[in-house]
Amino acid sequence: METIIKQKIKEVKKGDQSSFEDIVSFYQNKVYQICFRMIGNAHEAEDLAQEAFIRAYTNIHTFDERRKFSTWLYRIATNLTIDRIRKKKPDYFLDAEVKGTEGLDMYSQLAADQALPEEEVESLELQSYIHKEILALPPKYRSIIVLRFLDELSLQEIAEVLDIPVGTVKTRIHRGREALRKRLRHV
Amino acid sequence: MKCKPETVALMHKYLDGELKQEEERELRTHLQQCSACQNHFHELKRTITMVGSSSHINAPPDFTKKVMAGLPKQKKRNNVTR
Repeated sequence: METIIKQKIKEVKKGDQSSFEDIVSFYQNKVYQICFRMIGNAHEAEDLAQEAFIRAYTNIHTFDERRKFSTWLYRIATNLTIDRIRKKKPDYFLDAEVKGTEGLDMYSQLAADQALPEEEVESLELQSYIHKEILALPPKYRSIIVLRFLDELSLQEIAEVLDIPVGTVKTRIHRGREALRKRLRHV
Repeated sequence: MKCKPETVALMHKYLDGELKQEEERELRTHLQQCSACQNHFHELKRTITMVGSSSHINAPPDFTKKVMAGLPKQKKRNNVTR
């Protein structure tokens, strides 16, 4: 797949806009998920993920093809999301965390679409709980937990995405893991 | 081996896949003797499983279409070859 993506990037750089469609389609779920897990609601996540792709497109000439495209793309998405989190008013943010309605809506939609048996609905509730506990972490731990445990990026890749030393990534993973352990131990 | 925080540091190293053979032996020996650390280790592994198993979320169905519609208009340079 990397080879196909590389080819598509070349075509986009040459000015073929339509080749960008395959790139979006291939990475959309990953990018959306990173934004959603970090920002916490579906509407803002969509907005951020779209913006990330548009920025990737307009800055595609700055992408060095010897590097991994996903790392570059995730970096754009996480930077945008972290900026948005910083700009949010604290009171609104708290409010969003307590209610978490959009996140919940999203899970209830999932449940309705697939007509799940009861135990799976329960597990969706658990999922929604875990999602909220991730959101309760400070943003600098949240991004790392999302990249590490949901996207399974290596420590080195995370360091590149967030532009921080690997040692810092390790420290934050340890702290994030401990914080989540305390929050999830009674579940 | 002392209990915490040295043991906890080893646990995290283990979970990052960076534990040396000797450290692994050290950790295993300690865990066999200390139920508090054993419990801590179990909770950490469980946390990772829980977070990792939270379902992957997909972008909305018309996502790609919307991105494509939002791109700046394309310059006509398709046939430029040198």
